[in-house]
Amino acid sequence: MQVMGEEILEVRKKSIMVKTLGCSSTGIECDKASVSGSVSQRACVYCGARVVLNPITDAFHIVHGPIGCASYTWDIRGSLSSGSDLYRNSFSTDLREKDIIFGGAAKLTAAIDEVVQKYQAKLIFVYATCIVGVIGDDVEAVCTAAEKKYKIRVIAVKAPGFSGTKRQGYKLACDAMMRLIRPYQLSKDTLHHGVNILGDFNLAGEIWLIKNYFKKIGIEVISTFTGDASYEKLIKAPSAALNIVQCAGSSMYLAKLMEEEFGIPYMKVSFFGIEDTSASIMRVAQMLGDAGVVEKAVNLTKRESCRLRSFMEKYRPYLAGKKAAIYVGGGFKAISLIRQFNEMGIETVVVGTQTGKKDEYEVIQSIVNDDTVILDDANPAELEFFMKQKKADILVGGVKERPLAYKLGIAFCDHNHERKHALGGYEGVENFTKEINLSINSPVWECMTAI
Amino acid sequence: MENAVNLNVNPCKMCVPLGSVTALYGIARCMSILHGSQGCSTYIRRHMATHYNEPVDIASSSLTEEGTVFGGEKNLLSGLENLIRLYSPEVIGVSTTCLAETIGEDIPGIIKKFYELHPECTAEIIPVSSPSYAGTHFDGFFRATRAVVENVSMDIRKNNKVNIVTGMISPADTRYLKHLLNMMQIDYILLPDISDNLDGVHVEKYDRLPKGGTSLSDIKKMAGAKYTIELSTFNNDDFSPAVYLQQQYGVPYCRLDLPIGIKATDALINKLKELGGMIPEELQKERGRCLDAMIDSHKYNAMGKAAIFGEPDIVAGVVNICCENGVIPVVCATGSVCHAFDKKLREKVEKTAKVQFVEKIRIKDDADFTEIENCVIECEANIMIGSGDGYRIEERTDIPLLRCTFPIHDRVGGQRVRLLGYDGAMRMLDNIANTLLAKLEGSYRQNLYDKYFRPENESTTVKLSADNIVDINQRQVLKEKTLRHPCYTCGSGQYARIHLPIAPKCNIQCNYCIRKYDCPNESRPGVTTEILSPQEAFEKYMLVKKRLPNLTVAGIAGPGDALANFEQTRQTLYLIRQADPTVTFCLSTNGLMLPQYAQEIIDLGVTHVTVTLNAVDPEIGAKIYKHIDYMGQRYTGISGAGILLGNQLNGIRYLTRHGVICKINIVMLKGINEEHIVAVVKKAKELGCEITNIMQLIPVKGSAFENMPLVSNKEIMDMRKKCGLYMKQMYHCRQCRADAIGTLGNDLSIEYRNISAAKEKPARNSPYRFAAASKSGMIIDCHFGQTEEFYIYESDGIDLRFIEKRNVEKYCLGKENCGNKTDKIEKIIITIKDCTAVIALRIGEVPRQRLKNVGIEVITTYDRIENAVKKAAESKNAANEVWNTAL
Repeated sequence: MQVMGEEILEVRKKSIMVKTLGCSSTGIECDKASVSGSVSQRACVYCGARVVLNPITDAFHIVHGPIGCASYTWDIRGSLSSGSDLYRNSFSTDLREKDIIFGGAAKLTAAIDEVVQKYQAKLIFVYATCIVGVIGDDVEAVCTAAEKKYKIRVIAVKAPGFSGTKRQGYKLACDAMMRLIRPYQLSKDTLHHGVNILGDFNLAGEIWLIKNYFKKIGIEVISTFTGDASYEKLIKAPSAALNIVQCAGSSMYLAKLMEEEFGIPYMKVSFFGIEDTSASIMRVAQMLGDAGVVEKAVNLTKRESCRLRSFMEKYRPYLAGKKAAIYVGGGFKAISLIRQFNEMGIETVVVGTQTGKKDEYEVIQSIVNDDTVILDDANPAELEFFMKQKKADILVGGVKERPLAYKLGIAFCDHNHERKHALGGYEGVENFTKEINLSINSPVWECMTAI
Repeated sequence: MENAVNLNVNPCKMCVPLGSVTALYGIARCMSILHGSQGCSTYIRRHMATHYNEPVDIASSSLTEEGTVFGGEKNLLSGLENLIRLYSPEVIGVSTTCLAETIGEDIPGIIKKFYELHPECTAEIIPVSSPSYAGTHFDGFFRATRAVVENVSMDIRKNNKVNIVTGMISPADTRYLKHLLNMMQIDYILLPDISDNLDGVHVEKYDRLPKGGTSLSDIKKMAGAKYTIELSTFNNDDFSPAVYLQQQYGVPYCRLDLPIGIKATDALINKLKELGGMIPEELQKERGRCLDAMIDSHKYNAMGKAAIFGEPDIVAGVVNICCENGVIPVVCATGSVCHAFDKKLREKVEKTAKVQFVEKIRIKDDADFTEIENCVIECEANIMIGSGDGYRIEERTDIPLLRCTFPIHDRVGGQRVRLLGYDGAMRMLDNIANTLLAKLEGSYRQNLYDKYFRPENESTTVKLSADNIVDINQRQVLKEKTLRHPCYTCGSGQYARIHLPIAPKCNIQCNYCIRKYDCPNESRPGVTTEILSPQEAFEKYMLVKKRLPNLTVAGIAGPGDALANFEQTRQTLYLIRQADPTVTFCLSTNGLMLPQYAQEIIDLGVTHVTVTLNAVDPEIGAKIYKHIDYMGQRYTGISGAGILLGNQLNGIRYLTRHGVICKINIVMLKGINEEHIVAVVKKAKELGCEITNIMQLIPVKGSAFENMPLVSNKEIMDMRKKCGLYMKQMYHCRQCRADAIGTLGNDLSIEYRNISAAKEKPARNSPYRFAAASKSGMIIDCHFGQTEEFYIYESDGIDLRFIEKRNVEKYCLGKENCGNKTDKIEKIIITIKDCTAVIALRIGEVPRQRLKNVGIEVITTYDRIENAVKKAAESKNAANEVWNTAL
């Protein structure tokens, strides 16, 4: 085991492990509340719920609380829409001092009234943030009353930041979506067809890419959660024959609920990297399609893989042998990234996630090389320490990690929800490889010397 | 969007804690902790990190449910311990959040307790009350600076220093301010100083707690200073460090505007001069240069009608710059509640506006971006200056936004925005002028052309070919394609075309048309025996292509209108293009939806379009078209014909300008348009079309024109000849069916009716079935005994096929009653009983034996599922071969 430096807090050591030869029995501590004062990179329950629901394009997302939470999540995701762009607005009850004293329920009711009357809302999500419960607002009651009054859907998402980790927020979002679609369950003998895509938020149009693949092979996509989703499209979801789950961390719970209640089986897929993308397309084709569909899927995956192999060959000599550090939100993304790096000949030396689950860490452990450092809910000090210790050439992470990498003179790849180019699908392979190359082999690093 | 009354729609403000931690970033070796939920610190870090492009570390006490109910003391105490261990700060700012304030946390009490528990602690811990609901980040900034001077133990001995207190200005502006003070040889203490900490340098060794900022020893001396200048117009006395220092220690003070603009900068410099400062020549020159620049750009800037928004002090400063140079600030807005805002700005703004007789001015505090956007539109602003959050307005209105204050997320350099001093004003003015000039230079030629030239020459809008957006290579390709198109090559029998009948609906009703008929033996436009789905059309195309190698053109000719069924058209063309990159796409339409879809048609690779244009005069059109359906509305008579005509002309012009070969079909109708056809042809020529096709009316029973007299062949030929003077004519039209196949002379469509493109399936060996143990769903990554899900595959060693995913718990319950006693291994065995082998990462000896007993082989490997299954099947095949050979 490597020596952990001074900068590693004692309580944090359980959440850090170094892969050793053979099998470690203890495993990593994860899915716990962040350590106070450790400067976690995690957000909160509200954030989890908001990021999952926000891409529903024609919904009103009203944040009930003081202004901050609405400000920081306004148009935060690069989720694209082919229809409404309502979701790119931030609605907040903007609670002030007197609301804290006298309660904010009346203000919320007035806000909902206004939204319905002025903008003819059909679907409203109301997010209750930290203090709403503390000041005694019954958000559920306000929402139910509004549903009755206006005959529209007003769904309360009670997501005080302190009530768990971001993962609880994902769960709340899944529950909210179930409340939305449950009334549209099909009767027992109705035939299901087509596929729902879960856990894809249409960042930089990724869901469009994937839908195009399915269109090419003749598989119908019924509904998408939640990238480019709309009320009308979501309520069709119960009629699908299969759910495929991309971002497992946020949407597996929804897939399980839909399996239990609607009898729709689910399958994990990944559209990161050539092989994952091909395998995912093939499986859906084989599960839902006839011979014609399978044949088209074979043609598509073969053609694309072929094209990309020669593309990758061009880049490989410039990337092989480099070392990568990964710090992302969920475990599934980390796993995909490790494999994508393998395809490039890049070794992953540090890998961590904000909200990875135990089984995801087990997978990570099984696919990385010995001596790789694995971290759960890491802080900047740990990232700095291990990236330096393992001499990482590039960090893949989110917005907050970027300046740290740059300060340390390490290349960076933005794998965040604000990105402007697709990293999923076959097209994403090209973008990802190009991005890794242009940062890792940038001339700037040669200038970083003293006079 | 209308202004909202009961809610904030797109906030022009951040919360109080953000301002607080920003100010604390300007204190040397200070680390912040937010007492509240984990998310607050992360959100604020993200917001600051993308603006300043610096690592921003803020700790959180990460309050949990328990902490919320029973108090967060424990969390805060351990939080302080941990951050000291990680950062060794000299100062710690404990800022509250809405949660901590609402549950009533006693921060000074907890800090006291911390010192008792940790007598070794030397860090100065400062409590900052910063409830999010009590203002904005603007207030938070001053709440923190005030808390700093209130809590640091002061050295009351008199010194000769001048305290300079600033609000939320950029690191670069802070650097400028220091430079100015140094130039004037002022002995100063600047509070806070974010110049280095939020705009750091690149050094070999990164220090996670940056070293810059106002030092604790300097802060201690503030009580003994000879004077305080507080650079804020709108700060409240309750949060004013200057007021506090005066009240507590008798340090005299004055409050000045931020030195943005000439007069405000003059005011600061004069004050500093009073306090003993020198005005060096360098500064004189800087001022002179700014004045010079102001004169240079004043006429350009007078074009500007600005909307200015952000923190109140910054807005006031930018208003200064604008008013001094003749830019009219038609909208001034801030998200903060700021009662003095209007009073302070109005006079200045109105005076500037009056020069150009502009009357509509909006000054608003407590505004959100919806209100700001509405004001921007109402007051016809042509430039916006403010925070980056104005990007949504910029996106929607195309009014340029100069990003000059927090937050800026969609551009780089937020940390280096310059506004302060003569130099800052000069840069901002250059920026404004250049933005306005860019707009002017980029548009005035076209604007003046549109304004003065076009109305006078309405009839001669022929665009020169130089305007066409087609390059030479593309022209060559088009030429070749046209040569292989049977409709454009004098009926040469060499090339075949297929019409794919995928478009049943039509959006106009022509008086000569009826699409009810379904007669396989009739041949005229609008007739087909079947409607195909895009997929069927694609399959039909592939089948015909196989049999007719001379098939060069795929067309969509109804039976309705290709563009009234655009989704089908798009899908069909897309599918075919994927499979056959060389086929020529041809489309016929009435042109009603052309303006909407022209670009998409081009993108889909359509190179030839036929538009039926029977008249270029709505009055004549009204006699031909019974009605049109457009944008959900039915139009009849002249208005309907007028809309149709307008769209046809615009659409055709767009297509020809983008290199699409356009053919115009004209149905010759006796007594209606026969006199008018020459005009139509001339128009077609003017629009850049390739060929016109004058056709006979085929009277159809049941149509409005069923009894119309026939046009004789001679009449048609005469008309074609007459029009041939103006434009190339088509003499060989066969007026084909909507599902025609083959060459013009030989329609083969009957042969291909209802033929499904059945494919033969290759014979397969009976495959083996495998169960793959996987957690990730992509690789064999799971220990056999811990597997919850198996991916079931079949493979014969050549192909592989995914069957399904089985969940052990569910499968087991569904298939057989496993009972509670059944152990995990038993359940797994039931789940995968039908498989030849199971593939897992590892497996114990006992389960291996049990599987063997039921005849299931075990393969352990670490590989992608697909690879592992294939390899397993291959080795099964090999084993069988060996076995067979041995026999």
